[in-house]
Amino acid sequence: MLSIKNLQVAIEGKDILRGLNLDIGAGEVHAIMGPNGSGKSTLSHALAGRDGYQVTGGEVLFDGRDLLALEPEQRAHLGVFLGMQYPVELPGVNNMMFMRESLNAIRRARGEEELDAVAFMTRVRDKARLVDLDEKLLKRNVNAGFSGGEKKRNEILQMAMLEPKLAILDETDSGLDIDALRVIAGGVNALRSPERSIILITHYQRLLDYIEPDFVHVMVGGRIVRSGDKSLALELEEKGYGWIEEEAA
Amino acid sequence: MMTADLQRSWVEQLISDANAGLPGQDLAWLDSARADARQAVAELPLPNRKQESWRYSAVESLLKNSFRPAPDDVSELQALDLQNWLLPAYEAYRLVFANGHFVPQLSSGALLPAGVTLGNLRTALAGDSEWLARWFGQTANHTEHLFTALNTALANDGALIHIAAGVEVDRPIEVVYLSLGQETAALVQPRNLVVLEAGAKATLVERFIGSGEAGYFNNNLTEIALRDGASLAHYRVQDESRNAWHLSSLYLAQDRDSRYLGTTLAFGAGWARTDYNTRFSDQGAACELNGLYTAGDRQVTDFHVNVQHSVPGCASRERFKGILFGKGRAVFDGRILVDKQAQHTDAHLTNDNLMLTRDAEVDTKPQLEIYADDVKCSHGTTVGQLDPEQVFYLRSRGIAVDAARKMLCLGFAGEIIDTVELQPLREYAAGRLADTLNAAVVEE
Repeated sequence: MLSIKNLQVAIEGKDILRGLNLDIGAGEVHAIMGPNGSGKSTLSHALAGRDGYQVTGGEVLFDGRDLLALEPEQRAHLGVFLGMQYPVELPGVNNMMFMRESLNAIRRARGEEELDAVAFMTRVRDKARLVDLDEKLLKRNVNAGFSGGEKKRNEILQMAMLEPKLAILDETDSGLDIDALRVIAGGVNALRSPERSIILITHYQRLLDYIEPDFVHVMVGGRIVRSGDKSLALELEEKGYGWIEEEAA
Repeated sequence: MMTADLQRSWVEQLISDANAGLPGQDLAWLDSARADARQAVAELPLPNRKQESWRYSAVESLLKNSFRPAPDDVSELQALDLQNWLLPAYEAYRLVFANGHFVPQLSSGALLPAGVTLGNLRTALAGDSEWLARWFGQTANHTEHLFTALNTALANDGALIHIAAGVEVDRPIEVVYLSLGQETAALVQPRNLVVLEAGAKATLVERFIGSGEAGYFNNNLTEIALRDGASLAHYRVQDESRNAWHLSSLYLAQDRDSRYLGTTLAFGAGWARTDYNTRFSDQGAACELNGLYTAGDRQVTDFHVNVQHSVPGCASRERFKGILFGKGRAVFDGRILVDKQAQHTDAHLTNDNLMLTRDAEVDTKPQLEIYADDVKCSHGTTVGQLDPEQVFYLRSRGIAVDAARKMLCLGFAGEIIDTVELQPLREYAAGRLADTLNAAVVEE
């Protein structure tokens, strides 16, 4: 479903990803771990199409299509979703209105009928329960004055609304207490399906206690240097990243 | 100074020509106000960039015209279907002016609630004008400001609104100014007076609508007096034609515990300026001024705010936001003066500008002059662009880049539009802004 071959990405002329390879099949959950500065967030932003991430080499095929040639919104139309590490606040943009625009923009692009206000409301209320998001937050401006945990819930709510084929969750666990982590993980688990692939980017093994990955990869210096199953995460938890960094060097 | 002399002769020519047809020439109080104003027009220097209040406002394009008073015959405008301009689901008591002249057949006639007087200057001058004599020219300063003097010297027609003590008007009062650019560049000068007696409460909507290709100059002036405890919500939408000049001079006099909420949404005209002047006579009064402006290619828009706190214990809050695109230009000049005796003043002023293009330009000048020592005052101004991170966030959710930018602009403006408490007008304004932004995207 997603095939990344020898991906090289630079930011402001500085090479960050240096030949990254990764294949993800439908329905699989892949965790990507690694120390700070290893390029994990760069990978997620490059896949979502953020400006300023210059692809200097390699290719990314998503269901056989050249993902890197597409605008960020076109990637979303195909079913790519990026759950942000730091979701921005959008002053004056109502959360509910935003989600409806987002959902309907994607539906229009796919030639599907837009959801009317009633159908949308039913769906958003239903999904908000999944991540235990206070309905009051739907009426507020996007992320405006939300706590760290509320912002992350709002991200997973959007994932639930948009039902992506590929969800990239960038450090969704950062800044969460254990209760919030459980709720978020519960939401993500509920969204696991044979058609939906998930990339979990995380520093810590803790998240993987709640969302069990099929594969674990370790990034160092802009490449994946080791892949394994969930036991690799446990090994990292025990021994840290030092030994892998040494091996990779 | 050949050019300046020519310009002066244009303004003076207006004064000497137009006197004959003016109403109410037998009224001593009006005659004297007009005479003072005529003298001021003759003596005041023409606006130029050396004057602080015109430093950033390109007045040259206005002065180089030869405007003539709009003819009384406005049949062409009366034929315009008012229905086209009415907002849906919106019941109001209405006064309509076409090129500055009252149009009774388009205005609400009978069935006004007790204590509510709606009328027009020309008619009132022919009848019982006692309250008019008391208030006309009392708050507007026609000896210092040229265009105020010009409006006063040629005062001809305009909206008159009087609300008796304690009366709460059950519907908004709407004043619609339709202007049609005609062959001769027309000077349109509505002269309005709004008086709310003690404890009266009303909502006033003013809409400036323009049509036609030719330019015209709408030099409107509104005096507002709010007596003790009176409360006025005043929403203004400036939708003049893109070839028009528009100058709104607003003069507010607020008595004890009165409340004024004013929001001006300025979308139209090629050259537009709104001057707010507020004075408080006694403590406990509050004045909130909000403004939203947009300007694109061949548009200059300008807001001047002058709030004088000369008595203790009053509050003022000014929030102005602009969205500029293409080669649009804006000026914001906000001044709050807090006199020595105006202790416990609570005054805050902000001006935020969103620049969608490199060629757009804004001059913003917030000024806070404080001579009292126990006050809460602040001012702040920002000039910025759309945040790329916010744009990316929306795009990553499937929203196309133009729509994302538009959504963020509407969000930016929302704080001002939301101060309009009439839903149909608020929706109209949001739609009008969305249309403007659509055009802005095309212009880029």
